[in-house]
Amino acid sequence: MQLPSSFFGWVGFLLEKYGNLFLLGTGMTLLISLTGTVIGFVIGLIVATLRTIPVNRRTPGTVRALKALLNVLLNLYIEVFRGTPMIVQAMVIYYGAMQAGLIARGTPIPVVAIFIVSINTGAYMAEIIRGGIISVDKGQKEAAQAIGMTHWQSMVSVVLPQAVRNIMPSIGNEFVVNIKDSSVLNVIAVSELFFMSKSAAGAYLRYFEVFAITAVIYLILTFTVTRILRLIERKMDGSATYTILGSQTFSQSAITIREEKKEG
Amino acid sequence: MQEPSYVLEISHLNKCFGTHEVLTDISFTVQTGDVTCIIGASGSGKSTLLRCINFLEDPTAGQILFHGRDAETQWKRAEYHAKVGMVFQSFNLFNNMTVLDNCVAGQVKVLGRDRKTAVQKSVQYLDKVGMAPYQNARPAQLSGGQKQRVAIARALAMDPEVLLFDEPTSALDPEMVGEVLAVMRDLAQGGLTMLIVTHEMSFARDVANRVIFMDQGLIAEDGAPSEIFTQPKQARTREFLSRVLNR
Ligand SMILES: Nc1ncnc2c1ncn2[C@@H]1O[C@H](COP(=O)(O)OP(=O)(O)O)[C@@H](O)[C@H]1O
Ligand SMILES: [Mg+2]
Repeated sequence: MQLPSSFFGWVGFLLEKYGNLFLLGTGMTLLISLTGTVIGFVIGLIVATLRTIPVNRRTPGTVRALKALLNVLLNLYIEVFRGTPMIVQAMVIYYGAMQAGLIARGTPIPVVAIFIVSINTGAYMAEIIRGGIISVDKGQKEAAQAIGMTHWQSMVSVVLPQAVRNIMPSIGNEFVVNIKDSSVLNVIAVSELFFMSKSAAGAYLRYFEVFAITAVIYLILTFTVTRILRLIERKMDGSATYTILGSQTFSQSAITIREEKKEG
Repeated sequence: MQEPSYVLEISHLNKCFGTHEVLTDISFTVQTGDVTCIIGASGSGKSTLLRCINFLEDPTAGQILFHGRDAETQWKRAEYHAKVGMVFQSFNLFNNMTVLDNCVAGQVKVLGRDRKTAVQKSVQYLDKVGMAPYQNARPAQLSGGQKQRVAIARALAMDPEVLLFDEPTSALDPEMVGEVLAVMRDLAQGGLTMLIVTHEMSFARDVANRVIFMDQGLIAEDGAPSEIFTQPKQARTREFLSRVLNR
């Protein structure tokens, strides 16, 4: 068989031969980073809501103590997972869980991978969301409280939606980081894009060509995700127009008001 | 029952921020239909008093009775908040919701009303404050006066027995003060019990049936508007009034 001699020749050859591998790896990378980001986001929301539970003079001592303990544990979680590399977390969690018998040998590795990315992302998200909550005017929470909403209700329907809108760029950033950094999971043999690329490169020892392809795929992924998140942000801002409902006299001509939109 | 039935009884209320005592031994009562205006210099503790009554601040000492029962221990917090509403100086409309949803959210989440009833009720009160046509707008798209009228509708939609107002017109451009005061005047005539912190002296004189003058965390004088505005007993009340009335 005639082997290619040019860069593009090799690229075409490798794509044809290992297209499937690239596709599977891309799928796995997307699956892990998307699921990991979403679960991490939920973890972050829960942690942030727990950390902001209010106490007042009627709060019993035991509840106060529990809350203090909870805060210590949550802070510990955040410090540990932000303070160590994900590649090390992967090793410790995977081999630790294996030794402790928590995962049997047959456990699908993607589940482990998603767990690691989620818990790692959760630590970052908790801090990002805390920042988002601080960015929401205190009066919003007070108004919710003043009509009788509980801490959870006011967080869920008033504070967090605004906090999340404010931190959408950071959330998108976490997703992009996860797309790229899930590559470190190749150390525990997760068949994501980097791992698959390594296998593809090994056969003909064409590291440069294979990883050039890999780089382009990562770039396409991150670029697309960034665009999609922009669209979601737009959507969250809601309509820039509203319609003044026709009163009797104006019913012919409902008036539409257009708000000047600032480009951010 | 022999004794008069009070809606609210504030007794020996005290509030400290650290070592700074902001409210000192505040006691007064409110009866159904009372329109009480609280006046006083900036920093005298008026906002803190309202915030303590609504437990946005934790009182340091003292008691608040609502219909004779301790608001802190004998009422469910959500129920108390639904019955004692608040209107803020800075409106605090929920920025993530439309005007309509601002009024609907509390009814559905707190009172457990179904959405259809809540929407009907909301539209009814938005209509009352003249904001029904704007129900699909977002707070950012409204003027200050419009926002405050929506905030009043939001509070009314909870069917409160008492509404607390903390300087509802102080953040408004002068030409919008009138529209909000008109709504409040209307509510007073409708018999709603209101506790209003305000610098609008003519409103206090015309609409309130009682005026409380606060000075440095104390109730310095308390009486009918005719007494307070025409023959204040205390020198500091006279001084305050001459300052604000002769602007
Ligand atoms: N959260 C707070 N922490 C510390 N001091 C406060 C706080 N809120 C109000 N104060 C102080 O309490 C005093 C009364 O404030 P406030 O009730 O806002 O007065 P008013 O509404 O009459 O202008 C002021 O000296 C103010 O600085
Ligand atoms: Mg004030």
